Amino acid sequence: MRHFFIDKYSGIDSYVHRIDPRVKILGVFALILSIILTPAQAFLSFVLFFSLIAALIVLSKIPVGFIFKRSLVVIPFVLMVTAFIPFLKEGEIAGGYSLGSLRLTVTYSGLMVFWNVMIKSYLCVLSMIVLMTSTRFSDFLKAMERLKVPRIFTMILSFMYRYIFVFEDELMKMRQAKESRSVGGPKHVHIKALAHMLGVLFIRAYERGEKIYLAMCSRGFTGEVHTISNFQIKRSDLYFIVIIAGVLTGIRLIGI
Amino acid sequence: MSANNKAIEIRDLHYSYPDGTQALRDINLDVLKGESVGIIGPNGAGKSTLLLHLNGILRGSGKIKVMGTEIQDSTLPLVRSRIGLVFQDPDNQLFMPTVFDDVAFGPINMMLPKKEVDAFVKQALAQVGMSDAIERTSHHLSFGEKKRVSIASVLSMRPDILVLDEPSSNLDPKGRKELIALLKGINKTKIIASHDLELVTALCSRYIFLDKGALVKENSTPQDLADLF
Repeated sequence: MRHFFIDKYSGIDSYVHRIDPRVKILGVFALILSIILTPAQAFLSFVLFFSLIAALIVLSKIPVGFIFKRSLVVIPFVLMVTAFIPFLKEGEIAGGYSLGSLRLTVTYSGLMVFWNVMIKSYLCVLSMIVLMTSTRFSDFLKAMERLKVPRIFTMILSFMYRYIFVFEDELMKMRQAKESRSVGGPKHVHIKALAHMLGVLFIRAYERGEKIYLAMCSRGFTGEVHTISNFQIKRSDLYFIVIIAGVLTGIRLIGI
Repeated sequence: MSANNKAIEIRDLHYSYPDGTQALRDINLDVLKGESVGIIGPNGAGKSTLLLHLNGILRGSGKIKVMGTEIQDSTLPLVRSRIGLVFQDPDNQLFMPTVFDDVAFGPINMMLPKKEVDAFVKQALAQVGMSDAIERTSHHLSFGEKKRVSIASVLSMRPDILVLDEPSSNLDPKGRKELIALLKGINKTKIIASHDLELVTALCSRYIFLDKGALVKENSTPQDLADLF
């Protein structure tokens, strides 16, 4: 089975793809930090941030539609948290609804907080998507290791990335086996079967973990995983970091 | 027969699972250097359990010597670098994000310098005909390709003995044929556990029949094999 949802476009060649992953991670981290630290009313700054990200997307040659679609996935979660903010914040009232005896009011300061959270989270998510779709996941992990992220985190991510597809396949096969024998029957029976399937999946994951550990021991594993990387900072990486730093400082000066 | 031409020496090996089920009983076995030995037997006979003893993953009672070194806590790293064990399911064998990382996992654990690791990885992948896959991620490989990379992942440690657990399971006929050719070309002591008789007879000079945890028949001939099943 081929699964593409993580690294569908990470193999193409573009300026953004060629940047050293460590430099890219640091650049995007700086970008996200600047976005978060921008005051909510600095509307121009957000337009400029968006233009910067848009420029990176164009340079990366990743289809805009793909990035847009992916960015939408996060919106519902943000909305769930922020949807009530305009109604709860106190201040000058911008409008309201009357529901019988209940009166809901929306305040300007509440709307401002809402806008603040929405735009910042969306821009951050966009930057993350650009980073992740333009970097191979394995390179991303190695770069994190070289940036001194604790190995336990990178190893957990590494195993997750390696085995999420295996478990997806296993679940799919179990479902197919179930569907092949499902001929009618009440709905609760099917739901119960699904619960059992999840249980089996859990046990299999556990057993697989044991076997992987044995395979690791067979090849001399003694508790620490080491990897080799051939990352080298190129001149173009320095340009990238200087340009990003310059643009971020510029936005900071213009925007406020 | 002098002691130093033995690749593996097993004396009075017994092993019971933690729940008390006896898995191996009274195993005595010598494998000579350069020999290819097939271990055959029905499902649940203890083939895989026996293989896991060869590099000290499981420790039963009795003595096992690998290339003249007895398996003890202190010799485990040495023994594991001398024996390359290829597991049945390549998804368990290949656990790193890329093919390179997987094949380099063993040599890095052996504390080899980076240059040598690079060279060993490239050579191992060339040996199994997977040089082009070095940058790929394991889950994008076909089953046959995964199997080849699994073998490369132990060849890169330059072991003296290659141990394979059901190497041909789940392979299509073409993949199986290629695997047999590949293994034939590897000039090492080989121990192959399988119930694929055709594969075992093509690769091995000697067969050992295991049933219910005991060696039923040693030094079988191909004719014996045919009669057993």
